[in-house]
Amino acid sequence: MNVVFAVKQYVSKMIEDSGPGMKVLLMDKETTSIVSMVYTQSEILQKEVYLFERLDSLNRETMKHLKAICFLRPTKENVEYLIQELRRPKYSIYYVYFSNVISKSDVKSLAEADEQEVVAEVQEFYGDYIAVNPHVFSLNLLGCCQGRSWDLAQLSRTAQGLTALLLSLKKCPMIRYQLSSEPAKRLAECVKQVITKEYELFDFRRTEVPPLLLILDRSDDAITPLLNQWTYQAMVHELLGINNNRIDLSRVPGISKDLREVVLSAENDEFYANNMYLNFAEIGSNIKNLMEDFQRRKPKEQQKLESIADMKAFVENYPQFKKMSGTVSKHVTVVGELSRLASERNLLEVSEVEQELACQNDHSSAHQNVRRLLQNPKVTEFDATRLVMLYALHYERHSSNSLPGLMTDLKNKGVSEKYRKLVSAVVEYGGKRVRGSDLFSPKDAVAITKQFLKGLKGVENVYTQHQPFLYETLDQLIKGKLKDGQYPYLGPSTLRDRPQDIIVFIIGGATYEEALTVYNLNRTTPGVRIVLGGTTIHNTKRQMSLLGMVPVLNFDLNNLCNCLQDSGQIRPTE
Amino acid sequence: MASNYPPPFDDPVEVREGFLCPLCLKDLQSFYQLQSHYEEEHSSEDRDVKGQLRNLVQKAKKAKKKLLKQGGDDRTDTGAQERYESFSYGGVDPYMWEPQELGAMRSHLSDFKKHRAARIDHYVVEVNKLIIRLEKLTSFDRTNTESAKIRAIEKSVVPWVNDQDVPFCPDCGNKFSIRNRRHHCRLCGSIMCKKCMELVSLPLASKLTSASKEALASHTSPNSSPNSIHGSRRGSISSVSSVSSVLDEKDDDRIRCCRHCKDTLLKREQQIDEREYTPDIVKLYEKLRLCMEKVDQKAPEYIKMAESLNVGETTYNLEHANDLRVEVQKVYELIDALSKKILTLGLNEEPQPHPKTLQLQRMIRYSATLFVQEKLLGLMSLPTKDKYEELTEKRKQEIDRKLHMERQATLEMQRRLEEKQKDLVSRSTGAPNGEVPYPKRVSVKKSEGWLPTSSLPRQREIADPLLQQIDNITSFIKQAKAANRLDEVRMLQENLRQLQDEYDQQQTLKAIELSKRQAEEEEMQREQLQVLREKEWERELHKAVSQHSRTRSLDFREVKQHQHESGKENLNQIAQSLDLDTTQLKSSPSSKTPSPDAVQKQVTKENSVFPIKPREAPQYIRETDQNQTVLLNPFEDEADTSPVENDPANTLAGDSSQVVSLPTKARHRDKKEYNPFEDDEEDQQTNGATVCAPNPFEDNGNPFQKPVNDQNSGNPSEGLSSTNPFEVDDNEISGEDIIEEELLLQQIDNIKAYIFDAKHSGRMDEVEVLTENLKELKRTLAKQKEKSKC
Repeated sequence: MNVVFAVKQYVSKMIEDSGPGMKVLLMDKETTSIVSMVYTQSEILQKEVYLFERLDSLNRETMKHLKAICFLRPTKENVEYLIQELRRPKYSIYYVYFSNVISKSDVKSLAEADEQEVVAEVQEFYGDYIAVNPHVFSLNLLGCCQGRSWDLAQLSRTAQGLTALLLSLKKCPMIRYQLSSEPAKRLAECVKQVITKEYELFDFRRTEVPPLLLILDRSDDAITPLLNQWTYQAMVHELLGINNNRIDLSRVPGISKDLREVVLSAENDEFYANNMYLNFAEIGSNIKNLMEDFQRRKPKEQQKLESIADMKAFVENYPQFKKMSGTVSKHVTVVGELSRLASERNLLEVSEVEQELACQNDHSSAHQNVRRLLQNPKVTEFDATRLVMLYALHYERHSSNSLPGLMTDLKNKGVSEKYRKLVSAVVEYGGKRVRGSDLFSPKDAVAITKQFLKGLKGVENVYTQHQPFLYETLDQLIKGKLKDGQYPYLGPSTLRDRPQDIIVFIIGGATYEEALTVYNLNRTTPGVRIVLGGTTIHNTKRQMSLLGMVPVLNFDLNNLCNCLQDSGQIRPTE
Repeated sequence: MASNYPPPFDDPVEVREGFLCPLCLKDLQSFYQLQSHYEEEHSSEDRDVKGQLRNLVQKAKKAKKKLLKQGGDDRTDTGAQERYESFSYGGVDPYMWEPQELGAMRSHLSDFKKHRAARIDHYVVEVNKLIIRLEKLTSFDRTNTESAKIRAIEKSVVPWVNDQDVPFCPDCGNKFSIRNRRHHCRLCGSIMCKKCMELVSLPLASKLTSASKEALASHTSPNSSPNSIHGSRRGSISSVSSVSSVLDEKDDDRIRCCRHCKDTLLKREQQIDEREYTPDIVKLYEKLRLCMEKVDQKAPEYIKMAESLNVGETTYNLEHANDLRVEVQKVYELIDALSKKILTLGLNEEPQPHPKTLQLQRMIRYSATLFVQEKLLGLMSLPTKDKYEELTEKRKQEIDRKLHMERQATLEMQRRLEEKQKDLVSRSTGAPNGEVPYPKRVSVKKSEGWLPTSSLPRQREIADPLLQQIDNITSFIKQAKAANRLDEVRMLQENLRQLQDEYDQQQTLKAIELSKRQAEEEEMQREQLQVLREKEWERELHKAVSQHSRTRSLDFREVKQHQHESGKENLNQIAQSLDLDTTQLKSSPSSKTPSPDAVQKQVTKENSVFPIKPREAPQYIRETDQNQTVLLNPFEDEADTSPVENDPANTLAGDSSQVVSLPTKARHRDKKEYNPFEDDEEDQQTNGATVCAPNPFEDNGNPFQKPVNDQNSGNPSEGLSSTNPFEVDDNEISGEDIIEEELLLQQIDNIKAYIFDAKHSGRMDEVEVLTENLKELKRTLAKQKEKSKC
């Protein structure tokens, strides 16, 4: 069920099959990111793969002393490029792997192009998705739905990605989907169709309890992607943006050249792997420990590391250290930047109100807090909009709804038109009318008691009180209590036992907060393995662009204050 | 804790209850008092003791760990433990999900090949056709033939397409006219305009034809140098450029053809070129890979050596390791040099190589650097000669110290158990306060425990065939070194390493087994004590004798138990005890001669112990042989346990007074001791021995072990031998073969005597058991005879 491992195994197998000798990896745009998520350059260099080329790049030289490993999606364009390539081969021998099912006719036209007999292997290896974490995958698709229905090209890509995932994990699942969502139903049907058509491929050894594929729709929980996150991975993604494990730091003031773009991959960065699910304060102290550890080894400098600024200076003063622990300097930079952004944008305060909006039902206090923050000049228009969006979603039908007043406040704050439009767009997207289940008010007695108890106990951490709706859904699913009415099975058969292997797919994208939730569920529930997937991995920016209103938001960080804040000041756990 | 396990050794009369300390049996009024007492009095004592009483399983684990450390093997399962901790929540961290098999895949290769084969046939035919025609066109002397004649020949090679059929150039679509004349391809006969016409120069043609000829004749590649390729290429280019000037003149040195034919021919040429040409980078790269493989091979070997040397082990030779180090370093330098060469390939040439080529070179260099960095960092340094000697010395001391510590620990344990035992003894004899020790006894044991230390390592090594082998190999290595055969030395060292690993492993297994057995034994003891209590009233009747023998037997059990723990010393202790035994017997001739029972006992005991040993401990047996022969008198008389041989290891001093008086007593006791309850008790013990010590003898049904046990269960040396971990493993196979006929006969006689005795005192069930034993013995004897005949 480890998706990273599944893809990695495919890639390793390809490289192994081609035997010894210098190799070039020929990929297309998508497979490049698929491979880069599971293999680092140095790792793959050790396997004698020295060049990485795009099949469509024109600037390739003939190098007959190289073996070519082609890992391609079976698209029309790729097949055409490959035909051209085979007619005039640039490399001595070709090992061709398609990341999904390829048609017989394409195979034939490729075969006919291979007049020089350079192709040694043609296979389908189903690594057709981006493996983010061992239990999280994404398809990197944005804007997969037009309004309430699928964009057809995206639908087929999503179905391909999902079936490839099933094949790579060797699972032939039963399928459940969210009834309230038309796209979920369509996708479920498409996947089923592929399984039926390629029944030979899906003929795996039967397990006692069949695996389960649950297809959900983002519109059912539009809240989660709008919240500020405080765990490392989620926070990095929310504030800096992670794209195929890469983070662009070029906007960070005074960034050194080699840190413009850094790679955060749990596969080969131990610190990241250990800390990606910890909250910000813990990471601050972990980094501090790490650095102090190093300092102890250099007893000359009895310098105390009080703040992230100190740490940064420390790192810069020790080029040696920099070399030794590129990882640490990377994380110091990232955490420093996060901390800077957090204070600059007043995120702690914002986040507190966000959490209140998401988790509590006290309208007047929420309204008051939102208004107060809207007055605060430090709060960016982006965050302000977000607050109003949350308010709009939560108190959509509240008797004393004062959304118009808040909209006026937004306008007064100078928030641009395109942002203000988002508020109505989000209600359109994930408002009560659309939602299949109730996000905010608990439905049954148990849930009410739970919330009551929670209120009594007080909240442990105001910044992380929100529990994604997905948790509830999965919890019920594991206990076998998920209602067939809301999440029907596709086809006549139903699952009688507790499910063991679960694949959840969220149309419209998953979030890192949900990834954390699934991670914790995996850790705490014996005998259950859950893999989470989405058309993309969200942050607020992507969520907003999903709404079709804003392509990608740019907020100019350089104009804002550049003081580096003490990490000690950030204490989400109060 | 104590309330859960009321000490089993209470006073036989009153079963004591309450908060008794498990170690000293002091009655403490409350749990809390007990706890504080325990912490105060016994906190300094080994944790293992607590563990024994608390949790058998836990104790087994600890013993294993302890023994693991003794074997110098620290590869304990801490890693596994840590891993378990990550499962603590009940679920599994996705990073820890068990490895999965490779995902589904589907091959289209056969389909692909099928389609390709169809296509390729067609293509090959086409190319061959062109080549054959080309050959025909160039087979005559073109320069000295008239153009008309050439034309005729050309027309005969391939039928030309009719002019009228082609009004437009099929390639560019221009209309043919007087100015735009038609041209025929000499290779396929098709028509094109002048612009679309291509030319094949004669050198190219000859190259193509000769290559295919050679390829047909033999598969040796033609010897054309890169220069000739360039020449031919240039030739073709120049001929193209000269086209404009020569226009429609006689084709002396070239052949007209269409674009398609030319394409095919050029592809063909390229193929030929590539077949012959290996670029420098490939050659260098192959060398580089070879070096890397060499490093992969040698480095681990070296690291193993260096590690071993750095802790002062003597498995490997220092000079030797140094040689290897130099060798590996040289390979690294070579890798560095080669990759640098690759990096700079073609940099000085004009024109500069393609950027991709440069990138490739950079990447190769980068990966080579990574490789060297990674591996070179792991290449630890070796100690200098002096340092090494120092290390060796240190390690030696360390080992000695460890051994010393172990001994002490064992001793401590022994002492403690002793005390405990004493307590019991004093209790059973009615002493009100069991805490008063018998100083005399303790001191005796101490000295006894110390004795074997000096000779321990040596004997232990010899006892195990693996160790013997290791010794052998070490000496081989020395010899080989003397003979200066380094290859052999290396091989032998590797061998030695493996042997040591194997030995370590065995030790571990033994340790585990040992601890298990210990646990069982303890269980047994408890049961026995229960029985003891039940028999209490009977004891009252035979107070003097029975009390004595019972305490003794208890004593032995205890000793046995802790001696299990120090399994390694067993051999020594046997030797020791035997020595003591015999000397004692010798020193008191009065006891020796008048008490044939004692000697007989000794004989049987030794017989039972030693026949199994000759394989592993030849020297040792030689030592003891003397004793044996002295003692091996075929005494007919049957006797029961007498304190002397019963307890040589333990209670010599304490018993010495008894020894003197024994001769007279012994015979009386013959009958006395065969009273029912006493016997029952001993039976029990026998059972105990069989259960708790899964000794190969007993398990294999070694026929004379049981009867001996009947008498000897309390004999420490026997208990030792049966649980000696070395023997347990090594004898399993050989155990039965070694039984000697003589011994069997002897034993049969013994048993007959037992039966007689038992019948006399009317213990029918025992008679039954014994008869069965007798039958078994006879059967074995028969078998043995058969074997020896064979």
